[in-house]
Amino acid sequence: MRQQHQAPAVLPRRRAGTARFAPSTVVDFVVVGSGAAGGVVAKELSTRGHTVVVLEQGPRLAPEQFEHDEFRYLVQGALRNNWRKQPQRGNASVTYHRLVGGGSVMFTANYWRFREVDFTERSQLGPIAGTAFSDWPITYADLEPYYTRAEWELGVSGAQGPFDPPRTRPYPLPPLPVKSSGVLFERGARALGLHPQPAPMCIISEPHQGRNACQHCGYCSEFGCEHQAKSSTLVTVIPVAEVTGRCEIRANSYAGKVETDARGRATGVIYFDDNKVEHLQRARAVVLCCNGAETPRLLLMSSSSRFPDGLANSSGMVGKHLMFNGYAETTGVYEHELNDWKSVMVTRMLWDFYLADPARGFYGGGGLDGRYSGYPLFFALYGLPPDSPSWGAAYKRLLRDNYSRTMNIACHSTSLPVETNRIELDPELKDDWGLPALHVTYHDHPDDIAMMRFLAAKALDIHEAAGAQRKWGPQNFEQDGGYHLLGTCRMGDDPHTSVIDKYHRTHDVRNLFLCDGSSFVTSGRGQPTATIQALAYRAGEHIARLARRGEI
Amino acid sequence: MSAETVSRRAFLAAAGASLGSAWLAAQPGDLAASLIRAADARRAAQRGEPLPPCEVLTPEQAADIEAIAAQIVPTDDLPGARAAHVLSFVDHSLATWAQNQRQPLLDGLAQFNTAVSQQYPGMQRFAQLTNDQQIEFLRANERNRFFRELRFATLIGMFSNPANGGNFEKAGYRVLGYDDRYVWRPPFGWYDDKANGGPN
Repeated sequence: MRQQHQAPAVLPRRRAGTARFAPSTVVDFVVVGSGAAGGVVAKELSTRGHTVVVLEQGPRLAPEQFEHDEFRYLVQGALRNNWRKQPQRGNASVTYHRLVGGGSVMFTANYWRFREVDFTERSQLGPIAGTAFSDWPITYADLEPYYTRAEWELGVSGAQGPFDPPRTRPYPLPPLPVKSSGVLFERGARALGLHPQPAPMCIISEPHQGRNACQHCGYCSEFGCEHQAKSSTLVTVIPVAEVTGRCEIRANSYAGKVETDARGRATGVIYFDDNKVEHLQRARAVVLCCNGAETPRLLLMSSSSRFPDGLANSSGMVGKHLMFNGYAETTGVYEHELNDWKSVMVTRMLWDFYLADPARGFYGGGGLDGRYSGYPLFFALYGLPPDSPSWGAAYKRLLRDNYSRTMNIACHSTSLPVETNRIELDPELKDDWGLPALHVTYHDHPDDIAMMRFLAAKALDIHEAAGAQRKWGPQNFEQDGGYHLLGTCRMGDDPHTSVIDKYHRTHDVRNLFLCDGSSFVTSGRGQPTATIQALAYRAGEHIARLARRGEI
Repeated sequence: MSAETVSRRAFLAAAGASLGSAWLAAQPGDLAASLIRAADARRAAQRGEPLPPCEVLTPEQAADIEAIAAQIVPTDDLPGARAAHVLSFVDHSLATWAQNQRQPLLDGLAQFNTAVSQQYPGMQRFAQLTNDQQIEFLRANERNRFFRELRFATLIGMFSNPANGGNFEKAGYRVLGYDDRYVWRPPFGWYDDKANGGPN
């Protein structure tokens, strides 16, 4: 590690698991992906007595290997899907993280539950032309116990807010200390009659389960936490899974195909090791937790004479209805120093605009949060007001004057499920392993754009009411890429219009399960991780129940 | 895309097809070797020894690149691109992870200098211009692709982690008023002082 860090007060004392399985060994489950969902599923299955191999395409890093290097991790994307080895085509790009723990290691750590309405909104509002807007086959009440388990087992800091759905237990940890961006956000919002609240964050504000509290280093989004205060699966459920002695996390293992037999059952997963040598990990059942881009890609790559259009794709829905969530960022410059480059990215948010309102003339809902305005390099590249000089003495003076006095208000919102927004296999382009590259098509629905524009105007009002000296927002709201990869193997009761049932089993293959952002039916309001993990807890429990009954 | 107004997330997602893409997606192995070299150079500079000669750039090219970088982030009461060793960062990048950009960048520099010689008779290269002439020339050419690529590289060399070979003695961090101690306690800023128990 290059920087000097204060040693954590309490070091985790979990011993590394010793389970190692030969690929020829038929394990109970092979799980593909070790991120927000895969880590949880592996823990749920292995602690219930099952043998599990987790295939992760990226490396395994120890927390002390996480560094604060914008060039390496943000510009060069050292732990992201690699554009040279894993090229993409289409009109938009998808970004995800490749390492043990996946995006749960690198995300900003916003941890919003869905509300009741997110599961039943189609029934309440009716159809929306040109979309596959649908209810979920489960309700908030079905998922609530699993949100609670995620918050307590992983470690989430927060406080019940005025618009929160009911919860059976309070947050395990109090909110993180408010930053100046949070104070200003709250001041502006209250002046407008809005209801700001502490942001729920998947970062521990106090010591929890042997891990040390946040040290406020300022590097959460796109960085791993060297203090282990961000409650990634890498430092929470994965060690628990390994300690069972029944779970092997196999890093640097790039999955290429789900193998099936003549009866149409999954028999394992073909993957490439670090030397690009091909193996088949045999298993009694397969769970794909790759993400909303790679799970459908793997299914489409797993076609066979029995499944010519891709595995589990009799509905034709695999890869369709991709949703990124709407995202818009506004910026304000204030009189005094905020120093918002310290501590976690977000400390205050609001949900006053969560519900869709027909009076607006378009569908949508979302939330706002007050947050940092960029790490040093990205501030120098993109942080100044749009009319600023971009080089020279005046540019340099503005950097100095503004860096510590700038904050953003970010807008997070709905994406409608549109069939033509989709993940496909590129017909020509191959990745470094010779597999078909991702082909991404994405056009924001006009209502998604209208919602982003609506929220950005509200965010600018909050900057104004909070006393910003300068404020600005985006001119163009169309998105040409996404991090939230949702909806591409949607859950449903009807095998003709969905890919998995409400217990995450594919309609077509009895021993193949999918659980990650691809399972979503609707997009929520812009922070999907809590729901991905609640679904993973629920899926793990139900899959183990099915196994126990001999129903897989 | 407008490099000045694009959002962080849009940049990240679109970077594969945008300005500066040449600087993306290095192989980790390239970086490891580079970091060792950068650390050696840093230690030598801290002992007051001269920086090692450029790996890729001729002395004339190096003088031009450094002069342009020094106009992008000039020296005032705080250090600029020269003191931050931006030239070393750019040169080493062109020798390693950005080597496929070496020829395009040098071609761009040559065209830049052709324009210099046409506009300022008797001058062959940017570095030969007076300070006022340099500023005048860059103002007229700030949309030039070569200049924008070099600006991108200059800012990385100026403001990214010093371990990469630029940002010498945290020059860029001092320009921003940023402190990289990485462990903080509230209050963090003026506005949260009262909320976190202070007098404001």
